[in-house]
Amino acid sequence: MTSHFVPATPFGRRRLTSWRRWSLWALLGVLVVGLLVTLVYLASRYEASQAQSAVERDVADALSDIRSALTRNVQTLQALQAGQFNREEWQQEANKLLRDNREWVRIEWRSPQLAVLSAADTPYRPPVFARFERDNSLPEVQQACTTARHISSPAYARSHFVPQADGTGLELLELCLPEVSGGRVTGYLVATYSLGELLASRIGPQLGRSQEISFTEADGTRLAMHGLARRGSRVFTAQQLLDLPGSTMVLRMDSWRANPDVFPNVLTALVTVMSIALVTVLFMLGHDTRRRLRVEQDLADALAFRKAMEDSLVTGLRARDLEGRTTYVNPAFCQMVGFSQDELLGLEAPAPYWPPERAEEYRRRQQVRLTGGNRPPREGFESVFMRKDGTRIPVLIIEAPLINAHGLQTGWMSAVLDISEQRRVEELSRASQERLQATARLATVGEMASLLSHELNQPLAAISSYATGSINLLAESPAHSDDLQLALKRIAQQAERAGRVIKSVHDFVRRRDQAREPVAPALLVDAILPLVNLQARKLGVRVESRVPEDLPRVLCDRTMVEQVLLNLARNAMQAMDEARVAQPSLLLQARIAGTSEIGKRWLEFSVADVGPGIPEEVKTQLFTPFFTTKAEGMGLGLSLCRTVVEQHGGYLVFEPNLPQGTIFRFTLPAQPAFPART
Amino acid sequence: MQPAADATVFIVDDDAGVREALAWLLRSRRLLSAAYASAEEFDAMLATGFRPSQACCLLLDVRMPGMSGLALFERLAERNLVQAMPVIFLTGHADVPTAVDMVKRGAFDFCEKPFSDNALVDRIEEALRKSGEVLAAQRAKGELQTRLADLTERERDVMELVAKGLPNKLIADQLAISVRTVEVHRARVFDKMEVKSAVELANLLRTL
Repeated sequence: MTSHFVPATPFGRRRLTSWRRWSLWALLGVLVVGLLVTLVYLASRYEASQAQSAVERDVADALSDIRSALTRNVQTLQALQAGQFNREEWQQEANKLLRDNREWVRIEWRSPQLAVLSAADTPYRPPVFARFERDNSLPEVQQACTTARHISSPAYARSHFVPQADGTGLELLELCLPEVSGGRVTGYLVATYSLGELLASRIGPQLGRSQEISFTEADGTRLAMHGLARRGSRVFTAQQLLDLPGSTMVLRMDSWRANPDVFPNVLTALVTVMSIALVTVLFMLGHDTRRRLRVEQDLADALAFRKAMEDSLVTGLRARDLEGRTTYVNPAFCQMVGFSQDELLGLEAPAPYWPPERAEEYRRRQQVRLTGGNRPPREGFESVFMRKDGTRIPVLIIEAPLINAHGLQTGWMSAVLDISEQRRVEELSRASQERLQATARLATVGEMASLLSHELNQPLAAISSYATGSINLLAESPAHSDDLQLALKRIAQQAERAGRVIKSVHDFVRRRDQAREPVAPALLVDAILPLVNLQARKLGVRVESRVPEDLPRVLCDRTMVEQVLLNLARNAMQAMDEARVAQPSLLLQARIAGTSEIGKRWLEFSVADVGPGIPEEVKTQLFTPFFTTKAEGMGLGLSLCRTVVEQHGGYLVFEPNLPQGTIFRFTLPAQPAFPART
Repeated sequence: MQPAADATVFIVDDDAGVREALAWLLRSRRLLSAAYASAEEFDAMLATGFRPSQACCLLLDVRMPGMSGLALFERLAERNLVQAMPVIFLTGHADVPTAVDMVKRGAFDFCEKPFSDNALVDRIEEALRKSGEVLAAQRAKGELQTRLADLTERERDVMELVAKGLPNKLIADQLAISVRTVEVHRARVFDKMEVKSAVELANLLRTL
């Protein structure tokens, strides 16, 4: 039910939803009230119908009771009639009957001419016909007996009113039983009912407190009644027709009900509604609880997942609030800095993992960060942390603002990466890169040597051929001067060619001279240290370098000099390794060698080992090209080293190291203190 | 013993100076030479169907741009020429192990530059002599083949049995022909194969 015309602002939406919510509540109220009213109405309707049908049932029961009573009475009277009693006996019997049946007020034995032969009055009341003569009711007796004679069975007359001495009156009903013998009427038995008494004795016991039963005429005139209802506001009436031979009456029952039945009905309705509401609420609660449980479960899962993730991260995570207090660290971070979670949480600056010498700088940085002074770089920044044991570790920190559920910044989250491994790998790769370059350079030297030897071989082979041929020719006589001349000319040509090859090498070397630059001695040594250390670790050599910081810079072809240093260092380590020296150590040194007469300063580098030293027979040949003591050596290393040093104007020498080993020294020109203007 | 006067030394080297110098040295020892500037050139010459008829040998430079000496040597081996045309490699210092390997695979010898002196020429003469011998043997074999090709089928059957040293009678029995016929065939075989006796015939056949 979204509307396209409502702007999608939170406010508009909120207004819409609130209006909808209110309308829903109102609707709910209306529905509840309607439900209540309906319930009350239906309940009272139901109650009324219940009462009505109860009355109907009661009146029907009453009617059948009366009918059966009347029938039984007729049989009783017939028994009396058939008794063949004389007058006294009849009198006695009749009195007994009257004692047993209160509804009769009088029993008469009459002749066929309706003359009273004998009569008995009820003992329960004064004689009914005391004030009002019996003869006054003769028409009714006659009517009953006539009808009886006609139908040859007991018959009734219409009821009639007989005033009493106490000012009240009785509604009486005459019953006439004909006495027939041999097809002729021989007499009549007339019993007079009191309708009131009939009701009282036959229906009274079953009658409810709020019920009233009465005989009425068909037009509603009340003849007799019994029971006195507390008059309620509502009356329920039921009528049944009592159809007797010769007389017809209506039996009517009135049942009174209190009218403010609304209240219990409202209660009922309320209870019902409450119950419904309660059940509904319970159901909804259950549903809600289930949903909550599910959501909670999902949340728990998500939390567990997050926790597992945080715990398994190799990246250290650290959260700080806006005051700079540490609010969260993950296990990786703890492992990284060596402090436990409890030692870190809640701490303010300076953090225990800040190196003391940098704490001030970090504090300033954090201050700036917390006051929003600068955005952290997206790619992070490098920093140094201190482990609990004091070792420093290089880290990369990537910071991001912590935003809470309301979109407010509550602090900073930092991802911390330990980059010492990365640094090491970088070192290694750089070292291997350098080694590769060195190898490449060596390979180039090898290539060049091979190329040169080939280039020189050709003219020399030619020269050798011509020379041999010439000797062959000279051995003969006469000498072939023309041929010899040719041969000698060719020899000269080929020798020149060999010279050109040599010259090209010189040119190459001279080209390298221009590549000289001032370099700090420390840099030269530092450049080769990774490579040297790599080999030293393999061979277990202890490497030490002593290069003072304040040395003047060297004017040299950097690459070549590095090669010289590297070569000497490697030779030294190999020599110690081959001789199985107990504690091999290597010392690289640089110092000022002195100043020459023309004011040129020199630096001296030295590479000292504690190896076996150099045997006498080797010393003389040491710098000879292609002389080698190594199985796979080319015999170029040292001679090249010397060449390089000499090209710089220095010298390369060696001397025994005391107590054992060898020291190689070479000198290089230092950069002039005041460089001459060129 | 001098090799035949028309023996040829083939030189394959990319360096003109070296080619000429070697040729000159050989000439000083009365040896003919033919020089080629590349392995490809020499290989093309072989491809035209050249077969050595005179004693010859090949001075082959190992290191050349394009087809190397080793590759050319492989081609010679494929053509079954390394016997008739012995190969002497010319090598620089670095190529010695390779050259040794080549000698194991049938090269005649190798010579290290820059030492091309009379010792080399001596080796060349030996190679030429060897070449001459190989060629002579090949020629003899070839002639024998043509003589054999002249024989009829029956004559060949008879010849095989004669060479085994069977008497005529047995041969006649085996081939189910008369002794007379065997004698006729035998005479024809001796005539065609230019031999005088069964022993000589057997020796001749053994060279095959």
